[in-house]
Amino acid sequence: MLSRSAQGVYWMARYLARAGYLSRLLELQVQFLVDRSVEEIHFGWKRIYRCMKRLPPPGEQFLPETDEFALADAFTLADDLTFERSNPDSVWSAVASGRENARQMRHCISGEMWTCLNAAWLRIRDLEAVDIWRTPEVFYARTRSEIHNFVGVADATMYRGAAWRFMRLGRAIERAQLAVSLLLAQIDLSRRTERRTLGWASMLRTHHALEAYGRVYGIDLKPDRVLDLLVADPSLPGSVLATVQAAATELQGLDGGPGVEADAAARRLAGRAEALILYDWPEASAPEELLEQVGQSTRDLHEAVLDAFVDYAIEDSPLR
Amino acid sequence: MDFSRYEFDPAIHDEMFVADGKPRDHCRAVYEALRNLPDGDLNTIQERVTRSFSQEGITFTVYGDEEAEERIIPIDCVPRLLALAEWRELEAGLVQRIRTLNLFLADAYGDCRVVRDGVIPADVILGCPQYRLAMRGVGVPNDVWVTICGTDIVRTHEGFMVLEDNLRVPSGVSYMIANRKAVKAGLRLLYRRSRVQDVEQYGSLLRQTLCELSPGGRPDPCLVLLTPGTYNSAFYEHMFLAHEIGAELVEGQDLLVNDGFVYMRTTSGLRRVDVIYRRVDDDFLDPLVFREDSLLGVPGLMNAFKRGNVALANAPGTGVADDKSVYAYVPDMVRYYLGEEPLLQNVETHLCRRPEDLEYTLDNLEHLVVKRVGESGGYGMLVGPHSTPEERDEYAKTLRADPADFISQPTLALSRSPCLIDGHAEPRHVDLRPFVLTGNETRIVPGAFCRVALRRGSLVVNSSQGGGGKDLWVVDL
Repeated sequence: MLSRSAQGVYWMARYLARAGYLSRLLELQVQFLVDRSVEEIHFGWKRIYRCMKRLPPPGEQFLPETDEFALADAFTLADDLTFERSNPDSVWSAVASGRENARQMRHCISGEMWTCLNAAWLRIRDLEAVDIWRTPEVFYARTRSEIHNFVGVADATMYRGAAWRFMRLGRAIERAQLAVSLLLAQIDLSRRTERRTLGWASMLRTHHALEAYGRVYGIDLKPDRVLDLLVADPSLPGSVLATVQAAATELQGLDGGPGVEADAAARRLAGRAEALILYDWPEASAPEELLEQVGQSTRDLHEAVLDAFVDYAIEDSPLR
Repeated sequence: MDFSRYEFDPAIHDEMFVADGKPRDHCRAVYEALRNLPDGDLNTIQERVTRSFSQEGITFTVYGDEEAEERIIPIDCVPRLLALAEWRELEAGLVQRIRTLNLFLADAYGDCRVVRDGVIPADVILGCPQYRLAMRGVGVPNDVWVTICGTDIVRTHEGFMVLEDNLRVPSGVSYMIANRKAVKAGLRLLYRRSRVQDVEQYGSLLRQTLCELSPGGRPDPCLVLLTPGTYNSAFYEHMFLAHEIGAELVEGQDLLVNDGFVYMRTTSGLRRVDVIYRRVDDDFLDPLVFREDSLLGVPGLMNAFKRGNVALANAPGTGVADDKSVYAYVPDMVRYYLGEEPLLQNVETHLCRRPEDLEYTLDNLEHLVVKRVGESGGYGMLVGPHSTPEERDEYAKTLRADPADFISQPTLALSRSPCLIDGHAEPRHVDLRPFVLTGNETRIVPGAFCRVALRRGSLVVNSSQGGGGKDLWVVDL
């Protein structure tokens, strides 16, 4: 497979996973606006911004010593995260980038995948925050669902070649990084509040894990159990373990990359991230440190994958 | 469909009617069926067709000052019909013409017999900006210089005429196929009954043709389509064709030359490339030979090509044969190289480089179409009958300043075909661009990208100037 094409489908999957994840976070957050306390709403915004590694837009009344989230209204924050063109991670930008990568690599994906994604793009292309603000949760739910559809259509129609592997690899790495990032934000923020359970139920809902939690642990919500489920349960599709395992599986399915050292590093890093969770997590005294290590491994994995298959030195490559 | 307001003009060839309300034989069944379609049905089909183009992303990109806009080429869902016998006649003319042009290119970059024998003046060939010195003395596989040609054909009362031979990187074939798919889906029964010749085999014929260029006949050659990139307005077509022929869609940055061979960068290492269907202009192909500031090309590509290690379709330098000045000599070339009379006529062309032609052009500006030799896409031209005296005066000044850069032709009464305009049938001017493939033999699918000037009275069919597309049905009725 052409290296640039592999890179294209990899990024397509990363951007779309990002758009889907952020849509889910915002879907829940705008639901909070209806019936939750101000504290909980602020907590939710902080967690999203921390996860996306972004600062909220400064409002006119912004004062450094005050809580900026209290001053910016929900509309401004949602707009910043959803439609802000200059924010490369906004839902709009992520869908646009995912779709643009797909447009350039249309010959590598199925026609059905393209039509599905393009229809989603045409729907949101001209929207602005005011257009969705009467029922924002409907917009986010639909966007998330369209991305789920895309993944399903890919599963049903895409040829299981190298492009499929790179797409799945991109999706797995993105989801692992986002999940780690959100968990780290949750752990840190919840330590700073009086209410120890604040935000943990929504962590489950974000990862569609509420039912799974009930099945495994019953109805009693305990933060350490939520953390265990979201990090280390291989049966939960969005858990950190499941996503790093998915990345390792896709990597194993690919023939070795021409960048031989980077290829070995990538396989080692995927294995290390998995091993950290499988063997070190159960006895970890500082979960955030271990999660930091997992997060770093996935970031290094990203670099190693590109070095192995895309940006390899030509002198290293055999001629065929 | 309402034909009651259809204006028939005896001075203009109508593709559907011989006289007011009297359809041509091969159009009768389709005309009756269209006429009997309930009002609104065709509008619904038209809307569906347009929507499907947008949803499937069949677009071309227009770059404005701030951001790029993806546009669709508007398509009119009423097909233009051609009888199979008419098509055969056209096809024979196209085959004759491409044979001639390939012989001319081999000659122009070889012995230049055509000049020595006094058929074409040397300066017309050597002075052409598209003449590539780098191709002098270079042989091409099977003597095929032009693998893919998209000839612009118009029709008047006098028959088919060639308006332009597009021999460089002609585009539009993806619209031939997209228009067919969309219109076929809209007019299913009518399509079936009309025994329309298929065009969807174009991709496999193109693949077969390209494979025949494989250097040294290497079996199962590695094909790539070289695109200038996603910012090119025809990017959709590049992607579409790459998919159709099972080629990787590559940019210059994906290719490199090592020891005279071309390789592409893949996830499993460097893979040798045998045939490049390039959609990049000559100027940008190889910065070591052509424009050194080109970022789109591949350094060393021409060296690999000259050594016969990679095939390029089309070969560099073919632009000299579709130059607007050289065009005027094509009928003479047919006689010279083949000893035959041309089956397809040229449009009468005055070369303003000749003093008498310049004088004639200046005296008759209001009746002529004047074009710049180096321009395409409908730019830089004056359509005399549609111009104001001020515009003509202004144009005459530029014409006098550099006469060799201009040609003039009579304003043709381009044929018209019914289109769906505001819910009823109206005639609009049309042309057609069939695609001619040449490998071991010449292959033409019975169809074309049919362009239509959707603006009332307009003769300009270019998509950049308000033109649209139509499906062309070659029918065996």
